[in-house]
Amino acid sequence: MNLLQARAVIEALIFASPEPIGVPQLCDYTGLSKHTVQQILNDLGEEYRKEHRGLQMIEVAKGYQICTHPFCAPYVEKLQKNPRSTGLSQAAMETLAIIGYKQPITRAEIEVLRGVRVDSALNTLLEKDLIREAGRKDTPGRPILYGTTRAFLKYFGLKELSDLPGIDQWLQEEILREKNNEDAGDDGDAGDGGSSSDDSDANNAVEQ
Amino acid sequence: MSYLVHLDVFEGPFDLLLHLIERDELDIYDIPIAKVTAEFLEYISTMQLLNLHVASDFMVMAATLIQIKARMLLPKPVVCEEETVLAEEEDPRQELVERLIEYKKFKELAIDLRAREEEFARVFVRPLPEAADRLVIEENPLKDLSVWDLLEAFKNVLDSLAPEEEPVVAPKEEISIRQRMKEIIAGLAVSGRIRFRDLFGNTNSKAALVTGFMALLELMRLRKVRVSQDMTFGEIMIAAAVEEGASE
Repeated sequence: MNLLQARAVIEALIFASPEPIGVPQLCDYTGLSKHTVQQILNDLGEEYRKEHRGLQMIEVAKGYQICTHPFCAPYVEKLQKNPRSTGLSQAAMETLAIIGYKQPITRAEIEVLRGVRVDSALNTLLEKDLIREAGRKDTPGRPILYGTTRAFLKYFGLKELSDLPGIDQWLQEEILREKNNEDAGDDGDAGDGGSSSDDSDANNAVEQ
Repeated sequence: MSYLVHLDVFEGPFDLLLHLIERDELDIYDIPIAKVTAEFLEYISTMQLLNLHVASDFMVMAATLIQIKARMLLPKPVVCEEETVLAEEEDPRQELVERLIEYKKFKELAIDLRAREEEFARVFVRPLPEAADRLVIEENPLKDLSVWDLLEAFKNVLDSLAPEEEPVVAPKEEISIRQRMKEIIAGLAVSGRIRFRDLFGNTNSKAALVTGFMALLELMRLRKVRVSQDMTFGEIMIAAAVEEGASE
C-alpha cells in the first residue's frame, strides 16, 4: 500500500465509521505506524481546509470524523428529518458547565454552586446522555457522582476534556485558589489532594 | 391585568443577585448589602404581585441577605485590639461573595459552552446507525442454498398441508308442482292418508314448501285429494279423493 492508497483507506475508514475513529484504531486497521497515520490525518485535514470542500475533517472525542462544513448548514438543515432540537435550557447548560469543569461532582455540590435545585436539569442531561453516573462519593449517604460522557464531547465538538473552553484559565484559577487555601489554613493539603484525585477520575471516566 | 410588567427570567437567586449587581455596576467585592437586599425583596414582591410562584431558593436567599444586613448593622464587640482585627477580616458578606463569584464563573463557562453548542449545531455528521448496520456483513443464514432448495422447501410445506377440500356446491333443488303432485298421489296410494305435517316432513327449502303446498292445492282443485280437519287447529289429513268418489 503506497502513501496515496493509505490516505484513501484512512479517509474511507473515517467516513464509514459511525463514531469518531481514533488513531490507535486506524493503525490497527491499516497496519500503518502511528506516525504515518498521524501524518496522513494532518494532510487530509489540511486538504479539506485548502480546497474549500463541503466536508471537513474534525477531531472530536479523541477521534476523527468527517462532517459537513458549517457554511453549508442552512442547506444541509433542509435534509434533516428531525432537526437538532433547540439547544439546552439555560439551567441545563449551567449545570452541565459545572459538571464539565468540576466532575465528578454530586448533585448537592452542584446545588450549592447554582443556588437552586437541579433535579430536572440533571434528568434532562442524563436523558440526552450528556452526563452519566460516575460512581459514588465516599461521604455519608454515598451520593451519586456525575461526570460527562463521550456524547458530551461530541455534542460540543471537543477533542477531550482539556479542550473545554477556558479550561487553562480555569485550572490556573483553581490552582491559585488551592494555593491560597493552603496558605490560609491547615485544611489546604486535604482539599488539594481531594480535588487532584477528582480530576484524574474525571479523565479516566471519559477515556473509558 | 391591564398592564404588562417585563421580568427577566432568572435561573435562581444567584442569577438575580448577579443581575442586580451588574445592572447597577456594583463592586462584587463590596456589595452595598442594604441596597441589594431591598432590590432583591422588591423583585420577590413583584413576583408575588404577579402571582408567580416564588421558589423557596429565592426565599432562602432573601433570608440570607437580611441576616447579613443585620450582622453588618450590629456593632462589633471591641474586646482587645487583636480580636478587632480578626472581626474586621470576617466580613459577613464573604461567604456570599465567594459563592457569587463561583457562580459567575460557571455562568460564563456556560456561555462559552453555549457558543460551542451553537457552532456544532451547524455541523452535520452522517446520520447512522441504521446505515452503518448495512455495512456490517453478517453471517448469511442462507449461505450455500440455491433458489431450488427454497422451492423444494416450499413444495414440502405445500405437500404437508391437508388437501384443500373443494367447496360442495349444493345443486338447486328444482321440484316442479307436477312432480310434487305425483309424489303426493304416490304417497296416498301407499298409505291411504297423509298428515299435512308429513307432506313437508323432509324439506327445508322454501321453494319446496311452496311447490308442495301448491301441488296440494292443485290436487284439491282437480278433486284428486280430499282434505279434512277434525277440529280447529287440529291435524289436517289428506286422503285420496278416489275413495270418496267410489263411496258416492
